[in-house]
Amino acid sequence: MGGLLSSYRGFKFLTVILFVFLAFGSYLLSEHYVFAQTDQTASKLLSANNAVEQAFSAVLDAEKVGANVTGLVSQLNNADSILAQAENSNRTGDFSTASVQADSVLPIVQKITITAQEAKQTALVSGQNAFWSTIAFTVIGVFILVLVLFLGWGWLKRRYISSLSEAKPEVVSQ
Amino acid sequence: MKLGDYRIIFVAVGLIGTLLIATPAIVDAIHLPGGEQFSELYLLGPNRVAANYPSNITVDQNYSVYVGVGNQLGSSAYYALYVKLANQTDQMPNDTLGTPSSLPPLYEYRFSIQTGINWESPLTFSVSSASISGNSSQINTLQINGVTSNVNKPAMWNSNSSTFTYRLLIELWAFNSSSNTILYNNRFVDLQLNLTRTT
Repeated sequence: MGGLLSSYRGFKFLTVILFVFLAFGSYLLSEHYVFAQTDQTASKLLSANNAVEQAFSAVLDAEKVGANVTGLVSQLNNADSILAQAENSNRTGDFSTASVQADSVLPIVQKITITAQEAKQTALVSGQNAFWSTIAFTVIGVFILVLVLFLGWGWLKRRYISSLSEAKPEVVSQ
Repeated sequence: MKLGDYRIIFVAVGLIGTLLIATPAIVDAIHLPGGEQFSELYLLGPNRVAANYPSNITVDQNYSVYVGVGNQLGSSAYYALYVKLANQTDQMPNDTLGTPSSLPPLYEYRFSIQTGINWESPLTFSVSSASISGNSSQINTLQINGVTSNVNKPAMWNSNSSTFTYRLLIELWAFNSSSNTILYNNRFVDLQLNLTRTT
């Protein structure tokens, strides 16, 4: 009878320990989950920030070589706005919304980066073509000018000499 | 006119003509420095003019202003605006050192604009919860454009203005392509807010 009571007490003690462990364990698990979610959101925000900065740099490079970037800047502006919303959501503790918003930035800016790089290449090629056209125009223009002046000078010289040779000496009476 | 005089005229015409023909190539080769490069930051009242700025505020009342940025950098720029709440003792941005306020941002805007373009956006804010006790007050929560932040910002009674004074601070940051980071642009605007009552 005493052994039965003792084993019952032991069972009761074990049950209490199990409850305490489960309660504490679930608390620890939820804490861990929150930390993990915070880390994950921070990582996604960092990726989104880096991607936006990379896209902006690509757009700026394209603009520097003369590409028309009006449309790209407008698209980038939309991505910036979503990134700001993600940062604001993260700041207020809404990590799931922040993650979704940070994720949605990536495909937009990746597309912008690729388009900006293509626009840069196109602008570089057309810029080089324009440069060589300008050089060719200058060389041909100067050549024609020199030729015209040379021919004009020859004609003028001949005319001047012939007018001198055709001139009659005048006798001045003393 | 002598032949030597004609020669001078021909040489002059040749030089001037060459210069004119080569002008496009010279323009391509020589890049003249542009004007002064800077960014503008400004705050407008609720009617989008520089008037009627909100100053005396109460709890649960919405107030609107417009914040604007002008890009005069000569190229596109990527900007961030950080909105912060300060009291009389909080550190403000330092113009001399070019350092921002150390306060945490409550809300941010981000945008990219081309040179010569101005960007404007509404900034609506309200104090959701505040308390006044004797000579001290505290703004507990502040809502900016629908985003609620716990600020718990205290302020002491200002006997000069007979108010509890807070300042809504907006700092301009811009992406620096050399360092690949967003840096403080040494420009800020602020709105003095006097908390008059909590209900």
